[in-house]
Amino acid sequence: MADDFPPMTSIKRWLVTTNHKDVGILYLVTAMFFLLFGGILALLFRVQLWSSGYSILSDSGFNQSVSMHGLLMVFWFLSPIASGFANYLVPLQIGAKDLAFPRLNALSYWLYLFSGILIGISFFQGGTFAGGWTMYAPLNVPMYTPAIEATTGGNATILALTMFVVSITLGTVNFLTTIHRSRAEGMGLWNMPLFTWSWLLTVWMMLFAFAALLAALLLLATDRILLTQYFATDQGSSLLWAHIFWFFGHPEVYIVFFPALGIMFETFQTFTGRRLVGRKWVIIAMVLVAVQSFLVWMHHMFLTTINLEIKTLFMATTIGISLPFDLMVFALIYTMVKGRVRFTTPFLFSLGALVLFILGGITGVFLGAVVLDYEFRGTYWVVAHFHYVMVSGVTALVAGLYYWWPKISGKMYNETLGKIHFAVYFVGFNLLYFPMFLAWDTPRRVFHYQEGMEIWHQMATVGAFVFGFSFLIMFYTFGKSLVSGPDAPDNPWEFARTAEWAIPSPPPLENWPGRPSYRSGHLEFVDDAAEAAAATDGGTATGTDLARADHGHGHELDTHEHEEEHADHASIWPLGIGLGVFVLFVGLGGMTSSVAALIESLDPAYAEAAGLDGEFSYLYSGITLLGLAILTYVLFQFGLEEFNAPEMAIAERWPFENVGNTKLGVWIFLASDVVVFGAAIGAYVFMRIYAGWHTWGPVPDHTWAGLLNTYILLTSSFTVILALVMAERGNKKGLLATLGATLVLGLTFMGVKTWEWSDKFAQEDFWFSGIEYSLYYVTTGLHGLHVLLGLFLASFMIFRIVTIDAYLEDSRPVEFFGLYWHFVDIVWVILFPLFYLM
Amino acid sequence: MPLQTRAEVFEQIFIIFLGLGTLVGIIVVSYTLYNAYKYRDSEGPTDDEDVPTLGELPTGGKGGKKLFVSFGLSAIIVLGLVLWTYTWLIYVETGPEGDNPGEDALEVDVEGQAFSWTFAYENGVETSSADQGMVVPEDTAIWVNVTSTDVWHAFGIPEQRVKADAIPGESDVTWFATDPLEEGDGDQVVYEDGIECFELCGAGHSNMKSDITVMEEEAFEEWLAEEEAAMEEEEEEDEAEDDANGDEDDDANDEGGDA
Ligand SMILES: [Cu+2]
Ligand SMILES: [Cu+2]
Repeated sequence: MADDFPPMTSIKRWLVTTNHKDVGILYLVTAMFFLLFGGILALLFRVQLWSSGYSILSDSGFNQSVSMHGLLMVFWFLSPIASGFANYLVPLQIGAKDLAFPRLNALSYWLYLFSGILIGISFFQGGTFAGGWTMYAPLNVPMYTPAIEATTGGNATILALTMFVVSITLGTVNFLTTIHRSRAEGMGLWNMPLFTWSWLLTVWMMLFAFAALLAALLLLATDRILLTQYFATDQGSSLLWAHIFWFFGHPEVYIVFFPALGIMFETFQTFTGRRLVGRKWVIIAMVLVAVQSFLVWMHHMFLTTINLEIKTLFMATTIGISLPFDLMVFALIYTMVKGRVRFTTPFLFSLGALVLFILGGITGVFLGAVVLDYEFRGTYWVVAHFHYVMVSGVTALVAGLYYWWPKISGKMYNETLGKIHFAVYFVGFNLLYFPMFLAWDTPRRVFHYQEGMEIWHQMATVGAFVFGFSFLIMFYTFGKSLVSGPDAPDNPWEFARTAEWAIPSPPPLENWPGRPSYRSGHLEFVDDAAEAAAATDGGTATGTDLARADHGHGHELDTHEHEEEHADHASIWPLGIGLGVFVLFVGLGGMTSSVAALIESLDPAYAEAAGLDGEFSYLYSGITLLGLAILTYVLFQFGLEEFNAPEMAIAERWPFENVGNTKLGVWIFLASDVVVFGAAIGAYVFMRIYAGWHTWGPVPDHTWAGLLNTYILLTSSFTVILALVMAERGNKKGLLATLGATLVLGLTFMGVKTWEWSDKFAQEDFWFSGIEYSLYYVTTGLHGLHVLLGLFLASFMIFRIVTIDAYLEDSRPVEFFGLYWHFVDIVWVILFPLFYLM
Repeated sequence: MPLQTRAEVFEQIFIIFLGLGTLVGIIVVSYTLYNAYKYRDSEGPTDDEDVPTLGELPTGGKGGKKLFVSFGLSAIIVLGLVLWTYTWLIYVETGPEGDNPGEDALEVDVEGQAFSWTFAYENGVETSSADQGMVVPEDTAIWVNVTSTDVWHAFGIPEQRVKADAIPGESDVTWFATDPLEEGDGDQVVYEDGIECFELCGAGHSNMKSDITVMEEEAFEEWLAEEEAAMEEEEEEDEAEDDANGDEDDDANDEGGDA
């Protein structure tokens, strides 16, 4: 254990910690805060809905409340609380000491926290985003917001969400690497506990779904800040947004629900004293859902102008994806049969979640029938249905809080209070959401509704307060437990099976008393040093050696060193990076009027026609520069810091036995980046087909310049390969020369690009001049940013080689940089024909 | 054969879904609670030797057969229901008279803008939510061609169970059919705020409503002719004004024409 690691009572501990359990707690606590935030907004508009046209909020205030309620609950509460559980429990359930990249994990958290703070600030910047959590185009661009000042709050919201998505992406890279590469000996993928399974599928879905959302948000942010036209035209913008958003949005439903489902599986097994019925089929069903979730998005667009054939197809996939859930529900029900059901608080919440989910599922089948969907679209039927589903998920998450509370806090809670909480919660829930089915004709997000609906809306409002109050009971229960609850034993629940219950509550920093192993089919803690000694003493070769030969590929030799290896748990730089991005984004959010001023000077005629009237903002420009400065500094320090996160010497790694942790992480990250570019390029293809492919020619004038840049980048890919060869040979001069050449080639690429753009600007073809120009500048600009990032990395590496002879002994970072660089080159090879030749 | 209206189609399907949904819901939830209660932990000794233990590698429990029977049953219900509604989807998509607007159908262009609706009839007459709203004849199939001039709205008449997204640059075509007026209705029925917006479209969304009036056939024809005459009169006046005022109004007209 690190001696300099501060204790849990010190504030400093929480600012520097990278330990998975600490980060888990931070996530859980922060998520509860955003639950309150989103909940209070909900109470506000439920009061407004007391009677038709009743008004305590302004019209825009009402829209802001419903929009931010949705955004906060979906993004800042549901996923992070699940993330909190996963941080704390997944490493414990698979027998790891920590996540694969602990510093990255802390960074995920700080980006999440700061993105939430940015949301808070947005309320005071002329009003936060008011266009609904679905952010439909073109209401999401500044053109339709009354005054240009009011865009700052909306920008802050979009940038906060972007920051949040970056946090999620880092988290997915981390968890995927961890779960695939750090499972204890003997724990194959099939053997993972169901909460871990559900989280594994959640992060796989997150990786691709959030990448699509990231692309959408980046394009939206350029629209809002640089005043491009992606979502502002009447030539396909609305549908473009809907496609990308729902491509993300439907998987998102499962992303928030799967962790809850995992908790239900765990608690049902524990409190019925039975193993899950049809376990294998349940896992297969979840995998099917995860894959298919990317093929149903257009059911959110049945009422748009898509044709009958597509509607039929998506109706079929939608019905298809509902069926695996039937199997999961029945599996839960049959698990109780012949069990010993104990009605503890976590079981009551899980059972409640199951009942609510059944109701949510049945009302969802209504929406699968397209003819009914036509009429339910935009009504309270949808609101009631998805709250039954989503908040059934919340119910299971609350079950998780009670279930793991003794483990995390080390204290028992009062069961009576817990049961009172459940009773109030369940009554409040149904009083809140059931009347919405009865008032289903009410359009969503309106506060003028038909008179006959009043009674239902009043019941819902009363229910909302009861439901909200139930959470106060929960906080009281947990508070009381912390202050005066009895100490929790290692395992307070009879029939709990998973590894977290085999260690003290709360677990020690390094989790395990030895190396966890399942090689005998049952968890045991192995003392490797003693065993190795026994083996060299000529003791009989036990199953240990066999198991190692099978699973420990090439790691046997390292075992001893790793045992001694010291693991770091503290770094302040993740917090620093979070802060840097935060300041930068606060600044960027206020840049719209400066850009408008710039456009006025570049193209007065356009500015006048578009009604642009902005003033250069010294304040926000200054904040932006400050943010950039902070970010540069902290990233540099982050890169310099020695941080040791040892790989597990012996672990189950199927199917990634032969890839290192970092390399796998880079691959996973690039996979998500493929989706980001895929969405951006998809946007280009969609908009161009919409306009009629040949309506526009290529925007750049000089095909040769693009061709030249293609050659330059391909050459630089070659120099990067050479760099790796030089690093492997330990040839410092050669490494410097080849990396230097890569840097020069990259700079040349950027130089040609700059010349091309300034040539276009001279002809008054700007990024805002029309959708075809926006598409060209933004897509190639996104690629240019990737090149730029690569150049920073290359410069940093050259700096390290010069100063400390880096990479000569361990060439892997050069290889990882090469992977990234090749990827950026490949993207250009796709962009070149699309933008220069077609 | 009288027209099968959208409202009738919807009611039929909805009632069946509601009935079956309630039934299935009651059965499944009761069975769940029954099991939870029946197998509640009784302190007595257990005869089941095979209980889960801490630290075991997970395996599945027994009872897989039942699982598949229930799953199959639920799949059949869901698939059956949705396939059955598919025939109705075809009916709704093609229209009540077989294919697209029939001869007797009325076509209305609906345009959403923040925060009002305008309705343009075949003879050029235009009404809006600011005046009398939409006016349609009784016992007729009405085809609406819905679009928007600014942001995404959704046009809906709950009474008629018809809805269409109003998306800038798109035209979403659908239909509904009015019932014959009943005795005692007089020659028209006005549904106040009978048209609502179903997609968040900005600050005024909550109040983006319009009246809809169903008129007796003849009264409708009369009304349409009157409006046309009034419109022509107005145009003449406008032209006279234009001559006097130069071309300021032309710009405005041009903009309107683009949309
Ligand atoms: Cu969906
Ligand atoms: Cu609206």
